[in-house]
Amino acid sequence: MEKVDVMIAGGGLAGLSCAYELADSGMTVVVLERGDFSGSKNITGGRIYLGPLEGYFPDLRKDAPLERHVTKEILTLMGETNSTTLQLRSDRFNHDPYPSYTILRAKFDRWLADVVSGKGIFVIPQKKVDDLIKDGAKVIGIRSGEEEFGADCVVAADGILSFVAEKAGLRQPFQPQHFALGFKEVIELDSKTIEDRFCLGEGEGAAQLFVGSLTDGMIGGGFLYTNRESLSLGIVVGIHSLNRREPPQEVYKLLDDFKERPEIKNLIKGGNPIEYSAHLISEGGIRIMPKLYGDGILVVGDAAGLGLNMLVTVRGMEYAMASGVFAGRAIRRAKEKNDFSASSLAHYEELLKESFIMKEMGTFRNSLDILENERLFSKYPQAISNLFEKVMTVDGGPKKGLYKTIWQELKKDFLNYETFKDWLQFRKI
Amino acid sequence: MAELLVFSEKTDLAFELVSKSREFTAALNMGLAAALLGEKVGAEAEEYFAYGADRVYIGENPALAGFDVESYAEALYQIVQKNNAKILLIPSTKRGKELAPRVAQKLGAGCITDATAVEVKDGNFLISRYALGGNTVAGEVIKTGHKVITVMPKTFELGIREGKTGEVVKADLNLRAPRVRVVGRQEKVGEKVNLEEAEILVCVGRGVEKKEDLGMVEQLAKALGAEMGCTKSLCTDYQWLSEDRLVGLSGKKTNPRLVISIGISGQIQYAVGIRGARIAVSINKDKQAPIFAISDYGIVGNLYDVVPLLTEKLKSV
Amino acid sequence: MNIVVCLKLIPDLKYIRVKDRKPILEGAPLIFGDMDRNALEEAIRIKEKVEGTKVIALALGSSKLKETIKAALAIGADEAVLLTDPLFADSDTAGTAKALAKAIEKIKTYDLILCGEGSTDNYSGQVGPRLAEILGLSQITYVRKLEVEGKKLRAVRNMEESFEVVEVEMPALVTVATEINQPRLALLKDILKAGKKPLQEWKAADLGFSANEIGAKGAVREVVSNLAPEQERKQVVFEGELKDVVENLFNALMKEGVLGR
Repeated sequence: MEKVDVMIAGGGLAGLSCAYELADSGMTVVVLERGDFSGSKNITGGRIYLGPLEGYFPDLRKDAPLERHVTKEILTLMGETNSTTLQLRSDRFNHDPYPSYTILRAKFDRWLADVVSGKGIFVIPQKKVDDLIKDGAKVIGIRSGEEEFGADCVVAADGILSFVAEKAGLRQPFQPQHFALGFKEVIELDSKTIEDRFCLGEGEGAAQLFVGSLTDGMIGGGFLYTNRESLSLGIVVGIHSLNRREPPQEVYKLLDDFKERPEIKNLIKGGNPIEYSAHLISEGGIRIMPKLYGDGILVVGDAAGLGLNMLVTVRGMEYAMASGVFAGRAIRRAKEKNDFSASSLAHYEELLKESFIMKEMGTFRNSLDILENERLFSKYPQAISNLFEKVMTVDGGPKKGLYKTIWQELKKDFLNYETFKDWLQFRKI
Repeated sequence: MAELLVFSEKTDLAFELVSKSREFTAALNMGLAAALLGEKVGAEAEEYFAYGADRVYIGENPALAGFDVESYAEALYQIVQKNNAKILLIPSTKRGKELAPRVAQKLGAGCITDATAVEVKDGNFLISRYALGGNTVAGEVIKTGHKVITVMPKTFELGIREGKTGEVVKADLNLRAPRVRVVGRQEKVGEKVNLEEAEILVCVGRGVEKKEDLGMVEQLAKALGAEMGCTKSLCTDYQWLSEDRLVGLSGKKTNPRLVISIGISGQIQYAVGIRGARIAVSINKDKQAPIFAISDYGIVGNLYDVVPLLTEKLKSV
Repeated sequence: MNIVVCLKLIPDLKYIRVKDRKPILEGAPLIFGDMDRNALEEAIRIKEKVEGTKVIALALGSSKLKETIKAALAIGADEAVLLTDPLFADSDTAGTAKALAKAIEKIKTYDLILCGEGSTDNYSGQVGPRLAEILGLSQITYVRKLEVEGKKLRAVRNMEESFEVVEVEMPALVTVATEINQPRLALLKDILKAGKKPLQEWKAADLGFSANEIGAKGAVREVVSNLAPEQERKQVVFEGELKDVVENLFNALMKEGVLGR
């Protein structure tokens, strides 16, 4: 059997980051990517926060293909026929070093793959791990197609439904409420139009989240991110919510209807849809994390359930990249001791626990409970918009007092036991 | 006087080129000639004059008995050199397409193959052909004095025969014996199907799961009075239908008034074959299939349900 | 025997977009076309059957070739010769054939040159015949079956009306059709070792070319435009109940006046 030192299953952000960390280690590292190229099977809304990655990827800011740095954060609560928007524009966000950038995975992942290949690591497209080779409980290699390869360490970086983690017996069975389905369109639009429509300076970007009627009562929301010459527009829906729906809802229809909303229609007018894609999102947080290591195996990124819905944003990419780096470090250490046993590789989990990743996963461990509250996605956004609408309406009759108007709406929609409980729940995150 | 020389192993295609070339030679003040090559030829010379040739070169030689491309290339080269032919037009049959670049190489000439349009512009030929797998149409010109162009069949129309005569010139050819030997030939059981003339076309692709299911589609074609076409998989790979029925970049480019694409995803190589259709209809179960973007009307649905129902509807009217 | 396989790097057409009728190639990975891969596969099959066969992969193109050619080496080519000199950039078919011929002359010993029938992107099918002419070789094109019998080649050609069986003595040039074989996938272990196989890069000067003879300067053909054709299709899509969609389609076609014999 042929042998390498480290076999990384999956050429996404986690896998490539692990490889990146192992460059110049003297070990033979091979990354197997099942797509035509790294990034061909990955999508994000979305944007990446560079702050957390500063220490691990010093050249990211300078060299990576980043779209726009986000200076506008927009939250839109959607009712059936109205919507309310809260917009934050911040000088702070517009100050170099910029906190976050929108990105396109096909470009970004590919760049990282090129960097990694450039360092002499094999990134092989159109290959995947079809089975693990074990000696008892110990993982000693992989099978890809007809070929068997030995490896001191296998890294499961094969994404949300990690086949490798499953084969290694590290993963719990899936439950629908821990996953969401994200689907998006990339709509080509020239940069000047984008900047005009969103009132942005050159190179600046906007990130907009939508909650409310667009998901038709289901748990989820919408997003709109500005890239350099395109918009990323999409919707995320909880799988559990989706499954419960009678009659079954076609997800692309949600997106079609969303595009027809006046709030969206005029923003994307004249744009040319060039890509349509969908991806599963891990939202279970800390509750669904598999065991992260075993004898001869480590689990990183989405495969390790390192995805978190923080309500105001969904995190995954930074976790993937940092976890890849930690895995790389744990592997280096294991190589020094020539010990790839679980107890040695446990160092990976230590690194994770000390880092921002597990700290945040802990802080937001209850986000699922909040997310399961369907009122958040239908009643409240509608009620808030109705409230605002009532306040702003001047019609035939004499306008009632503001306090009275607001109080009436609050009484109707918010002053009840349910809402009070919901408010209390909020403390959990 | 410089000449434009037409050659084809297929006389009907040669006549198409001769007919159109009258226009070119008039514009460029050139003579129009044709070459007849083979072991014993000459009978068709009159027909070439009828379509507009001024001169016909008779190239007879035992080396030309088969279709040996090296011999044909050398023969044409010798005729071109001796008679001041500057432009060589050859139909883009398989033989034509392998012959043209070889002659061009002998002449040190530029060559463009599979032309879908040819026009004279600013004293030169502007030639259109598909590029990037059929995604684009490239406009190209040849920079050398000698030019070799292969033209897709049916790009030009057959002209009106007139009672003209011209000059028959016996070409003195110096050819060695062919090196490639033809040791066998298996005639293809071709159906005489002419998709390029079809008014209505029903095309099938890999959405059809079994060869037996083609019967269902044939019923639809019959109800419409349509010819059947297919994508590359069904004829070249699976061999369910003959290659005469291949619609696409490497097959037939059709111009029906109606084409219905069934179980076809709509990749560019196929799309090219139906571009000329007036109305394009598609049936596919995948809403995201590219075929819908290149169709006027589409049904998102299972072809096994849609096709029989559509056939029934058509029959009932 | 020695086999030279000619390969061309092209953008993966799956990833080509069209914007304002202009083709956008950036973002499209560079690969070897279908028929080139068939040619390489055929060479490897011959190598597996005929002892002492060496397969040389020859390609002219951008520096990206250095990465992509590893796929050819992984599949079984023994060595690679690359013409990546920027002076060769924008060569037309005549220029490409000229350069490849010089490289083949420098390779010196060869029995068989294998090419695809045409490249997947432009399918002009010229390089093979031009190459054969320059090297003074017989050409056998559109081959769907190829056999090596000692010093002789026997091929079945896919012609319009017939399958033609021909024979010729080597050295000769053969262009292959897609139906000749099913290209294998490279094995992981071979991909990892591919980087160790001999790879030579020859410059224009190594082949005795001056800058004016090659690349864009030496071109005999010029592309003056390259645009997607205008196409306005109505793009009306019917979805929903089976009976309804069929009815809707039927009515639409009646209205268009395309039904009826």
